[in-house]
Amino acid sequence: MIALPEMSEDPPPDPLARLGERLDKARAGRVPVRQPNANPGLQQGLALGFRIGIELVTAVVVSVGLGWAIDRWLGTRPWVMLVMFFLGVAAGMLNVYRAVTRTSGAVGYRRSASEGADAAGAGRAKRKWDDDEDC
Amino acid sequence: MAIELHPLQQFTIERILPLHVGRLDLSYTNSALLMTIVVLLITALTVFGTRRAALVPGRLQSFAEMSYEFVADMVESNVGPEGMPYFPFIFSLFMFILFANLLGLIPYSFTVTSHIIVTFAMAAVVFIGVTMIGFARHGLHFLRLFVPEGVPKVLLVLLVPIELLSYFIRPFTLSIRLFANMLAGHTMLGIFAGFAAIVGIFAIFPVAVDVLLLALELLVATLQAYVFAILSCLYLNDAIHMH
Repeated sequence: MIALPEMSEDPPPDPLARLGERLDKARAGRVPVRQPNANPGLQQGLALGFRIGIELVTAVVVSVGLGWAIDRWLGTRPWVMLVMFFLGVAAGMLNVYRAVTRTSGAVGYRRSASEGADAAGAGRAKRKWDDDEDC
Repeated sequence: MAIELHPLQQFTIERILPLHVGRLDLSYTNSALLMTIVVLLITALTVFGTRRAALVPGRLQSFAEMSYEFVADMVESNVGPEGMPYFPFIFSLFMFILFANLLGLIPYSFTVTSHIIVTFAMAAVVFIGVTMIGFARHGLHFLRLFVPEGVPKVLLVLLVPIELLSYFIRPFTLSIRLFANMLAGHTMLGIFAGFAAIVGIFAIFPVAVDVLLLALELLVATLQAYVFAILSCLYLNDAIHMH
């Protein structure tokens, strides 16, 4: 229920006055929603399954198509297409690998801080650190 | 008669109001009609669902609030608070795909998302938008996304093209996934409906299969909207937090 301002001769208070302040106060009280929802297994599992099925196929088809187009344009048939085929397979596998290991849809090998706890993440973080030292 | 049984006939675009401007065909088609209905329905849901906001929500308000919270949750848990400025876009995207998929399941209607040009247009908007956000927030540093860390320099010659390719494939996987799922599902429904028209008394079996398939299609319709929205969130997350 909205509390109505009392009848008086004064102009009614501006409803937008101190809106930012009130918004900040409301936001401070909110817990960040990082917890998974009630039934994460089924929902996310299904979503993942539908995701990766297409991923590999599309990568190969698109890159071979691109290679074919470049070949036609440059007249270098079939070399670019051959190279692009292997690159496409690699890119598709990379995408599937990342989808499965929950490295998000990320391009690049970085992991978010929350996911870095497991062994693979730790190993990767260590390697990155070693490399920084070399430079 | 035979053409009526064709399982692919449901995907034909028909001009309702022919309109030609120069060499452009700007006719109002059945596809455009369905899109208009989808947009009107979503607008009606959000406007009427929040008009008389009660503490104990009615059905309409409940549905409006649930969809809002579902998408808000998705954006916040996948992108974080920095992603909330893009919430209206993700919400519109999710609701449009969801309603288009679900309305397509009504017999004699038309499935907008079974046409790759529609899904590709949406995926291209996501892809271009996300890339622009990445460059706007990180400048040329955004290109570091394509250079994996902790890899010998020699291997970069091979890895950078792979990374580039896997980045540019995104709009294609995004659009083909949605389009292929809708196309395949509706074709299957059409095929079994075609059987039912041929076999006379035994039509009960293909119709039973269609009923079961329709349940599956309901799942696929919702899930595909979810997948499209969540992948847009993940791509947005990459562009915002690339570290």
